[in-house]
Amino acid sequence: MSILKKPDLSDPILRQKLAKGMGHNYYGEPAWPNDLLYMFPVVILGTIACLTGLAVLDPALVGEPADPFATPLEILPEWYLYPVFQILRIVPNKLLGIVLQSMIPLGLIAIPFIESVNKFQNPFRRPIATAVFLFGTVFTLYLGIGAALPIDKSLTLGLF
Amino acid sequence: ADWLQPQAAAAYPFWAQENYASPREATGKIVCANCHLAKKPTEVEVPHSVLPDTVFKAVVKIPYDRSSQQVLGDGSKGGLNVGAVLMLPDGFKLAPEDRISEELKEEIGNVYFTNYSADQENIILVGPLPGDDHQEIVFPVLSPDPAKDKNVFFGKYQIHVGGNRGRGQVYPTGQKSNNGVYTASAAGVIDAVTETASGYDIVIRKADGSTVTDAVPAGPSPIVAVGSEVAAGAALTNDPNVGGFGQIDTEIVLQSSNRVLGVIAFFFAVMLAQIMLVLKKKQVEKVQAAELNF
Repeated sequence: MSILKKPDLSDPILRQKLAKGMGHNYYGEPAWPNDLLYMFPVVILGTIACLTGLAVLDPALVGEPADPFATPLEILPEWYLYPVFQILRIVPNKLLGIVLQSMIPLGLIAIPFIESVNKFQNPFRRPIATAVFLFGTVFTLYLGIGAALPIDKSLTLGLF
Repeated sequence: ADWLQPQAAAAYPFWAQENYASPREATGKIVCANCHLAKKPTEVEVPHSVLPDTVFKAVVKIPYDRSSQQVLGDGSKGGLNVGAVLMLPDGFKLAPEDRISEELKEEIGNVYFTNYSADQENIILVGPLPGDDHQEIVFPVLSPDPAKDKNVFFGKYQIHVGGNRGRGQVYPTGQKSNNGVYTASAAGVIDAVTETASGYDIVIRKADGSTVTDAVPAGPSPIVAVGSEVAAGAALTNDPNVGGFGQIDTEIVLQSSNRVLGVIAFFFAVMLAQIMLVLKKKQVEKVQAAELNF
């Protein structure tokens, strides 16, 4: 059984905090030393052991030396650039590609101004911002998956 | 036995050996794909990690429909052959005969392996083999020992595998084989399709009235009729090819037994430390319960 401290409900400060949904650190198991001194090292050691085990049993591959004169048969950037790579790949014109790329920072700049009159923080009470966010996420995923497919399948994802 | 089976020389790894210093181009393409143009799957199975100086098996699978028949050099139909190239990391090589166990020998069967070249012991070629019995090829491989060979280190390395079934579509000289599509050399109207001793002659009359003759060897059959119009480069024949080439990369860890022992010892030490911390916490909790001052 662990040592649990009961909340002191005669303390007006604690009562005030609890009324606001705060003050949960005033009771329960003490952080020092029970958690910080004894349980944290258990978790830290476990993490170190997992990483060491992986490093020894499944070491990282040292790849081939890069050859600047050998263009790979399939070019693909790092995974986090797939969506923008896909934009560049599917538009017929380089200038159009650059213009579409600039839409990404412009869209990010617009975030504070979208629905800024709305006083709520809850996403369910910000329908426009939430809709834009969900559409943007789905569309980014769609572009990213398309980048990894051959060009003739990349728009339909080979589904149609 | 070359005069018995003159076609036996038609599709084989030694052409790659003759023409390329390494079977893998800088782009990662295995050179077999330069002549075997169709793409078909190839699979490989190797252990996740091996200890130094150990014999292990690498299994290359070259699946195809066993009922399919390919066009042979003389235009008749026959079974498919398979072949494979296994590019191991530096230092790995084909296991010598006396290191292969009886069990493994049985699994390998009657297969003859060669090195790609005298100074590339880590690249192993096999084939051609009758494909119906050898859709799975077992390579006996000996791992190197970093203690003996100073150029080898423990770590993870890549293995490149190429597997092929069936004849190629072009020869290394660029000449077409009879196992591919023949196309019209000019636009025009088909004037005649005549069967010859060695296949077909397809005569195309061009718009200006002159004619060209495209000779098609025995194997592919014409799909154009007299009087039909063809564009330059349009297919004159069907594609008789049923085979294809596939390549795949995998990884293998050359593991040191001392490192494994070390990591196990470390795990034990960590586990002990964790248990001690929990016990210490329990002890402190007893003091806390007795004193009740926190």
